Amino acid sequence: MAILTIRNLHKKFKNNVVLDGIDLDVEKGDIIGIVGPSGTGKSTLLRSINLLEKPEEGEIEVGDTKVSLPLKHGSKKSVTELRRHTGMVFQRFCLFEHKTALENVMEGLITVQGKNKKEAEELALKEIENVGLLEWKNHYPRHMSGGQQQRVAIARTLAMKPDIIFLDEPTSALDPELVSEVLNIIKKVAEQGYTMLLVSHEMDFIRKISTRVIFLDGGKIIEDDTPVEVFEHPRTQRARDFFHKMQILREPDYYL
Amino acid sequence: MLASFSDYFSFKIVWSRMPDLIKKIPITLELAGLAFVVSLFVGLLIAVARYKKIKVLDPLATAFLSIVRGTPMLIQLYVAYYGIPAILRIFNSWGADINVNLIPKIVYAFISLGLYQSAFTSETIRAALESVDNGEIEAAYAMGMTYGQILKRIIIPEALENALPGIDNSIIGLVKGTSLASTCGIIEITYQNQILAGRDYRYLEGYVALAIIYWVITVILERVFKAVEKRTKIPESPAEISGKNSSGLKEKTSFISKVRQRHGYFDHKELA
Repeated sequence: MAILTIRNLHKKFKNNVVLDGIDLDVEKGDIIGIVGPSGTGKSTLLRSINLLEKPEEGEIEVGDTKVSLPLKHGSKKSVTELRRHTGMVFQRFCLFEHKTALENVMEGLITVQGKNKKEAEELALKEIENVGLLEWKNHYPRHMSGGQQQRVAIARTLAMKPDIIFLDEPTSALDPELVSEVLNIIKKVAEQGYTMLLVSHEMDFIRKISTRVIFLDGGKIIEDDTPVEVFEHPRTQRARDFFHKMQILREPDYYL
Repeated sequence: MLASFSDYFSFKIVWSRMPDLIKKIPITLELAGLAFVVSLFVGLLIAVARYKKIKVLDPLATAFLSIVRGTPMLIQLYVAYYGIPAILRIFNSWGADINVNLIPKIVYAFISLGLYQSAFTSETIRAALESVDNGEIEAAYAMGMTYGQILKRIIIPEALENALPGIDNSIIGLVKGTSLASTCGIIEITYQNQILAGRDYRYLEGYVALAIIYWVITVILERVFKAVEKRTKIPESPAEISGKNSSGLKEKTSFISKVRQRHGYFDHKELA
């Protein structure tokens, strides 16, 4: 059974069409890598699914919660409900600055899931240990490296036990030497059986961990297959050109 | 014959003024306190109207700020002192029944002081609200928090930390501003001093005594605010936090780690 169903999703910013009729079914356990040139709506797609952006048209269904667009008066409740079943990891971490790492992870457990402090702390500590930051639990975000902040952000998302996790370029804001520590955590999370949608420019990583790869261009899904098929035998010229360019970037002597 | 120094200035008289002046400190503080409540309430309304860009209210708030900031406080005080009774009398002529003479003078003073200060407090609050990172608000939404929860758990606590120094300044400004209220006949410490000095013409000593009292009040308030700010502020260095154990009490730190803290070195041993 599909854990996430998207039908005919349309989104534009003023006159600029960003999502042009997206249909997508995500099964439990899927790890879907979303690739494509910049400005093709990869991030917007993720942000539209949990309604941080408001698409003009379409339907989104997560578990038993269904949201039809455009949003009507009174649909706030189902939007909140849908968000409770999804988790999001942002490019810029977006940790709560005035809370320690531990409090950041506890926040949603207390306010959204209504757990008491002790219970929340226990669960949060488990997640913080999962990302290997137990000794940093009392530190504030501003005292941590970008990689550590992103790991806390991942722990914060996992603590909510979401049905599906969206990762929006989780390593793009990091210094190169910090990328691998975050990717290792994401890999670990993937192995724990979570369902994930991952937007990233780390092609090798996507190729390695995803079960399915989607290529977005001009607000449409133009490739949708296993990583091997999409990366090695892309059906469209657009995807071929894109991967060719990425290939060139990886071989420095080509332009030296 | 040579005049002695004490003919011009006598510390003894400064000292002897104190008890009578101190008696009126409660009036000064009451005035400042009431004015602060008004300023915080109105300031919050204006800040929210401008932060959320609410129709009609936003331009109204902007016009209000411009007028309040562009006119002297003393003039505003007089306008309130004569203007509010005038408005009430107009209401009375329309059939309302308000005994204007029964309204104590302090009401005009704290309304006017409060409105004046609200112009500045509102900007402090608005800047603090706007300083909260939009990404954090989005992250909270993405977790499934409602706007009310986000306001309570994320926006207000974070904005408060940034707003506190400005609010503290406004309280101190209000305490000093109450001296203007003496001009509309409220017997607080400044007016009290004028009464006392009128008896023996020792104005200089009286004003010096007054200055000392205002200064002491301000210093005490600053101390209190600093302590409050320290509690709400995120510590500057990570070492400050690792020095705390789980019960929130500070553990004894070694001399070396103290030196490291002072010089901003990161102490890895503290983490263990």
